Amino acid sequence: MVTKKTSPDLLNSFSFKSLKLKTKQQELLIRVSILGLVYVLAFIARLFSVLRYESMIHEFDPYFNYRTTLFLTEKGFYEFWNWFDSESWYPLGRIIGGTLYPGLMVTAALIYWALRFLRFFVHIREVCVLTAPFFASNTTIVAYFFGKEIWDTGAGLVAAALIAICPGYISRSVAGSYDNEAVAIFALLLTFYLFVKAVKTGSLSWALGSAFGYFYMVSAWGGYVFIINLIPLYVLVLLITGRYSMRLYVAYNCMYILGMLLAMQIRFVGFQHVQSGEHMGAMGVFLLMQVFYFLDWVKYKLNDTKLFQTFLKITVTSAVLVGGIALGVGTASGYISPWTGRFYSLLDPTYAKDHIPIIASVSEHQPTAWSSFMFDYHILLFLFPAGLYFCFKRLSDATIFIVMYGLTSLYFAGVMVRLILVATPAVCLISAIAVSATVKNLTSLLRTKQKIPQAGSTKGVGSSKSSSKVTLDQSQPFQKNGAIALLVGVFYLLSRYAIHCTWVTSEAYSSPSIVLAARGAHGNRIIFDDYREAYYWLRQNTPTDAKVMSWWDYGYQITAMGNRTVIVDNNTWNNTHIATVGRAMSSYEDEAYDIMRSLDVNYVLVVFGGVTGYSSDDINKFLWMVRIGGGVYPVIKEPDYLVNGEFRVDKGASPKMLNCLMYKLCYYRFGELVTEYGKPTGYDRARGVEIGNKDVKLEHLEEAYTTSNWIVRIYRVKPPTNRL
Amino acid sequence: MADHTNLSHRFFLSIALLSTVAVTEPDLTGELVSLRSSSESGVIRLNDESVSRFITSVSIPRPYSLIIFFNSINLNSEPLQEFRREFGFVSASFTSNNNNRSDVTDKLFFCEIDSTDSEAFHRFGIRSLPQICLKAMMEEDDVDGTAESVAEFVESRTHLTVGPIHRPPLLSKTQISVIATLIAISAPFLIKKVLKGETVLHNSRVWLYGAVFVYFFSVSGTMHNIIKSVPLFLTDREDSNKLVFFYEGSQYQLGAEGFSVGFLYNAVGLLLAYVTNALVRVRNVNEQRVVMMLVMVVSLLAVKRVVYLDNWKTGYQIQMYWPSSWQWH
Repeated sequence: MVTKKTSPDLLNSFSFKSLKLKTKQQELLIRVSILGLVYVLAFIARLFSVLRYESMIHEFDPYFNYRTTLFLTEKGFYEFWNWFDSESWYPLGRIIGGTLYPGLMVTAALIYWALRFLRFFVHIREVCVLTAPFFASNTTIVAYFFGKEIWDTGAGLVAAALIAICPGYISRSVAGSYDNEAVAIFALLLTFYLFVKAVKTGSLSWALGSAFGYFYMVSAWGGYVFIINLIPLYVLVLLITGRYSMRLYVAYNCMYILGMLLAMQIRFVGFQHVQSGEHMGAMGVFLLMQVFYFLDWVKYKLNDTKLFQTFLKITVTSAVLVGGIALGVGTASGYISPWTGRFYSLLDPTYAKDHIPIIASVSEHQPTAWSSFMFDYHILLFLFPAGLYFCFKRLSDATIFIVMYGLTSLYFAGVMVRLILVATPAVCLISAIAVSATVKNLTSLLRTKQKIPQAGSTKGVGSSKSSSKVTLDQSQPFQKNGAIALLVGVFYLLSRYAIHCTWVTSEAYSSPSIVLAARGAHGNRIIFDDYREAYYWLRQNTPTDAKVMSWWDYGYQITAMGNRTVIVDNNTWNNTHIATVGRAMSSYEDEAYDIMRSLDVNYVLVVFGGVTGYSSDDINKFLWMVRIGGGVYPVIKEPDYLVNGEFRVDKGASPKMLNCLMYKLCYYRFGELVTEYGKPTGYDRARGVEIGNKDVKLEHLEEAYTTSNWIVRIYRVKPPTNRL
Repeated sequence: MADHTNLSHRFFLSIALLSTVAVTEPDLTGELVSLRSSSESGVIRLNDESVSRFITSVSIPRPYSLIIFFNSINLNSEPLQEFRREFGFVSASFTSNNNNRSDVTDKLFFCEIDSTDSEAFHRFGIRSLPQICLKAMMEEDDVDGTAESVAEFVESRTHLTVGPIHRPPLLSKTQISVIATLIAISAPFLIKKVLKGETVLHNSRVWLYGAVFVYFFSVSGTMHNIIKSVPLFLTDREDSNKLVFFYEGSQYQLGAEGFSVGFLYNAVGLLLAYVTNALVRVRNVNEQRVVMMLVMVVSLLAVKRVVYLDNWKTGYQIQMYWPSSWQWH
């Protein structure tokens, strides 16, 4: 792929004069090999998870993606598209084809079919596991071209290298994290790159490419809303700053119209582009664009400036008025849907906390503390302001775009931790500009001291060229030393970045979270494989039509690995249904039994970390179950489970807490167990307390299976007793 | 997942609700009503004398409930005064919502005892403020410092309805009218400037500062501070004179730490830009040298500091991976 893309350059370079050709060739060779190494690096850095654990799918959502991909490869595309899944959301079911972004599954299936066609008979799981690293490698190539577009080839190379190992991106693209984001970041960056290229050249083909990039993005991830709002915003800024041009007109119109039509082919998105409030900005800018064009045409036809001024006033006012009225009528009549909760929670960050507990409950939707930024970007955070400065020094259509992309996405990243991912390419690109420009400035400083004329490789340096010209006429010996010191400093920082990224990738971001690892007392690794143990138990020991109730986090895994029907899963589309499960978990056993009977539940699965000290278990998630349950059923009240605003499970816990279903299921028989030497029985290691209710008696449920480390506990719901 | 900020160690305040029923003693109720009408937002300020008069010397059960806010103006604590204002809103809302129903309003009175003029603190056993407790039943409850939670607390204990809370609008009517006239007067001048292209917005430098500010705003975790409404710093639990600026644990941060780190990011980045772009134009060599050394030292310290803080906060020890054959055995 690398050589293919750069081969035209190679051909061009041959037509140069022989002396020039040599340096050119050398430069090209170095550039291509760096890019090739970066491509490989991006791939292998993400294989830590396979090395440390095994080739498996990670976390929660990827299991659903894996299950659907499996279905797609086995049954074919049309079956997949029309799939009604009765194994989840019992008794409602879920229309899979209409409620998912198929891009990822189709991509993986295509790779799989291509490999099979080439006679590589790999398992579909391996393809799924390696999809994310593969696309991360492709992203580095796009980052190179993007960097080349907005600054120069040096910045492109640095950007590719930075993004290859940036933890903010790695966190979502290690081998096994088979999620939509894996391909979506590639699609996002590709769309942006092609659009910027289209604006620069004004060529229809680039705009067409950008429309297809957008289509791919829409098919892959809900984050496409970011594109369809950022690009119009960018166009609007260009219009306001007087950078309107025919190139912009061609690029935006083609991208918008074609992209919109293509996006409508995805069933999950449907007609949202013309109906939803989130997409109206794009349409407004599109119409504004036509007004601009029309005015331009009228100006050309009218020679009288005074007449044109009046005409301008009337047209602009009436256009704004008509747009406003149309929007008002559309919203009032319900044709244009209002903004969704998720969109609101980005613009007004306190919204989710007050209105949608199910969004606020997810840990990756929490606002970002500075340390998370530092952890994910490390040195890039220091370089970013410098990069901003360089961009402002050399404002062009492309740099305006990257600055807007960087700032908006960073703002969103501040609101939600998971959006750090979206900001990562922009941060890498802007930081790359800082690195590249700095290094170029400093090295050119060094070179001029050696009285060597500027080498051919510094073509199109722009601002750095101008600043190096300034330095040319003041050659003091000190500057050389200073430049060397600064260069050493920059390279030291970059090497720290590399160390940080490698370490973070291997230690923090490669955990599959379905298999847990801990350090033993002697520093040895202990692996807890309880999840899979439990799911395979379900698969082999329960009737095939059994219904399993658990908190929604584990729904996808149970259906994918346990192959059993679940009540709720990670596709949180029906809040009431989830609230019902939350209510059952937080009620007394007999009340919960009625709810479970009404849902035909056969087994209840809880995750419990009291023995191992695993802290993200159901007891720690319990308050969210109460909150979500209480949001729909007011009989559940959060204060009933708290003591003086504090959540406790020990003797001081509230009576409701000590007797609710979740507590009973987690701590059943736990009172007999000694978990830690020197502690009393029933000592909960995850919360560090001795539990308050050691004598748990179950009436309507019985223990069916508890995994070896007690992480997953499964209970069977007893059939009702005979009524005579 | 959920953050439980344990209030009881943070703010200095306490609410006690003395709840009662039956046995009419109309003169006391009447006195309280008149006291309420004469005090600001209906919060009666009690002193030692009135405490014994209305609380301790009255035979139980009393005909009314008192909800008492234990205040301490001397402490000068902002969260406490914030809570006091919220308390005032509940009181005012209670009286205005139940305006014509003396059967409701005569059952509950909002009071305040300040630490300066009362021994009542000792009498109620208020030592470690803030405990939020209900005296009658000796049971603790969850009040998180907002008017709504106080109202809910009152409603759940006394079965009297407080009704919706009336907060004063952010800007008073006179302020709004003044601002409106100012805008109206300045509008023509502004429009003229915009048309001429002379505003600050036409200066790209302003946009640069804006961009840097947005960056600072985002990466210093300001959104986190707003959403979780965290304080700028905490007071140490053991030693109240010591302030805690940095919080250990990567999911949470305090206001000041975010800003200081965000400042360091920007300082280093902008210094780098300054050195490579502006410093080279300085004619004086000595000046260049000094500034450059300074910048390098500052950057080095800042980067070291931030990396150290991050490692401390997240608890990770970043290290290099060497080939295993290089290790000594």
